[in-house]
Parts: sequence; structure tokens; C-alpha cells
Amino acid sequence: MNDHSYPPSNERNAEHFARSVALRLSEGTQQLPYDISERLRASRMQALARRKKPVAIMHAAGSVHRAGHSAVLGTGPQGMGWWQSLLSAVPVLALLAGLVVIQMDLDETGILEVAEVDAALLADDLPPAAYSDPGFVQFLKTTDSHQAH
Amino acid sequence: MATEKELSDFLKSVEKRAFKRALYHVRNEESALDIVQDSMMRLSEHYGDKPPAELPMLFQRILSNCTLDWFRRQKTHNALFSSMADFEGNADDGGDFDLLEAWNGPEGGEQAQSAQDQAERGQVLRDIELEIQELPPRQREAFLMRYWEEMDVAETAAAMGCSEGSVKTHCFRAIQALSKALKARGIKL
Repeated sequence: MNDHSYPPSNERNAEHFARSVALRLSEGTQQLPYDISERLRASRMQALARRKKPVAIMHAAGSVHRAGHSAVLGTGPQGMGWWQSLLSAVPVLALLAGLVVIQMDLDETGILEVAEVDAALLADDLPPAAYSDPGFVQFLKTTDSHQAH
Repeated sequence: MATEKELSDFLKSVEKRAFKRALYHVRNEESALDIVQDSMMRLSEHYGDKPPAELPMLFQRILSNCTLDWFRRQKTHNALFSSMADFEGNADDGGDFDLLEAWNGPEGGEQAQSAQDQAERGQVLRDIELEIQELPPRQREAFLMRYWEEMDVAETAAAMGCSEGSVKTHCFRAIQALSKALKARGIKL
């Protein structure tokens, strides 16, 4: 692979020769026929019309991400996608907070109900120990059956 | 990120050389125009949002790929190795590619000398182009990218998908072959 290493003077000559050839070729491109130049221009215009527009694509992607929660939670594109994901998490967090509040409310309601029963038992003339007495339970049952008749 | 104007300016700056390069490969104006158009489209569609500095490399690579695609589609590998006689015959037939026409400018009077000079330069250009067409494809590609597109060795290697050593070898051989051929034609640059 050493066959491309020139002696210094030859290397300069080779470089000069190559540049001269390239210069001639460049002169030739200035003399292209009119129809060729026009077709190249038309091709250029056509290509520019199909140019990839990064901003438009970002907006389009954003709208897709806003379309639904499941899509939003997926990994989005770079840049704005991070913010999109963060914003999209807000409804989920609100839902979780709501569930926690409901659970706390239910717990509180249950405690209040138990407290009412306790208060009624303690405020009653009958001592609470009576409810654990089998004779008193039997008395209540017979009383109920008599009242039913 | 390249603006539309930057992309337009870039394409404008390379389109003629790209056409010529494609023409040296495929030896047919219509096909060369198709290849350049295809290359421009691909660059614009897929890489239109890239920074301007990346466009030259990308375009060279796309142009090379489009040219290869053309050969694959046409299944005309023979076109790469067709004889000079065939090519000259086609040109005589009518001619898709005769740059001398461009040099046959106004005649007579005080411009006769410059017209003759122009004609000679046109002839030299045509000879150079013919010899470039005669180079093996890889040598031609390396030579044109390196010296005409003014890419450095590393860029040329990246665009051609080969090592820097291969690029140097291709360029060296291309220069040797061109130098020898042009000397044989009596052309001194």
C-alpha cells in the first residue's frame, strides 16, 4: 500500500496536475447547455418543495401526544417531549390524589360510626358488660319473641 | 439546522458538478439528470434539517449511492467498461454530449484568434472528460471527490466507505493514468 507515496517534488507536481484538471472541469460546468441548466434548476425547486421541515414535524408530534393519555405517557421525541411527558402526568397525579382523599374520607366515616356506637353504649343505662352475659342475651331473645306474638 | 435558502444555495453550488460526475459514470444525459434529481430529493427529504456543514458530505454519499442504484436498476455494469469506441460512436450519432458546440462561438474579425483559443480549450476539456470517463469507477470517484469537490482524504474515505489509504491509492493511480493519457494526447496542463 505504499505505492501512493510520492517523492516530495512528485507529490507537488501530482497535486498541481490534479488541481489543473479540476480547474478545467470547473470551467466546463459553466458552459452547460441552457436546457440542462434549466432542468437542474427545476429539480432543485422540486427538491426544496419536499424539504424536511423540522419545526412542522415537532408540532405534528406534539398534537399526537396530546391526543390521549396512553400516547402521552410513552417516550416522546427529544426537547419538548420531556415537558409534554411532565404535563401529561398532571391528570394522573390528580387522579391519585383524589383516590387518597376518598380513602381518607371513608376511613374517617367508619371511625365516626364506631364512635357513635361506643357513645350510645356508654351513655345507655345498661352497662356494656351486660351484652357479654349469656342470660341477658337469652332474655332479649325471649322478649323479642313475646313482642312478635 | 439549514434554512431553506442555505439548502437552496448549497444545491445550486453543487448541481452542475453533480450532473457532470453522474454523466462521467453513466454517459447519458437523461440518466445523469435523473440521478442528480433523485439525489437532491433524497437530501432534501431526509436531511433537509441537518446543519449546512453536513450537507456536502451527505450529498456526495447520496449521489454515489444513487449512481450505484442506477447501475443496479439498469443492470448495465457493462456500461462501466464499455470501450471508448462505443462512446465516441454514440457522440457522433447525435450527440447527447458534445461540448464543442458550446465553444463554436462568434466567428471572424478580431475574435477569430479567441474563438480558435476557445475551441482549443473546448477540445482539451473534452479530452480530459473522455479520459476521466475511462478511469476505473473507484479511481474516478476518489479523484473527483478529492480534487474537484475539494474534500480532504478523510471526508473522501467516509463518503466512499473505504479507508484513507485506499483513497490515496485510488487518487495516485488516477493521477498517473490521467497524466499518461493526456500526455499521449499532447495535452500539457
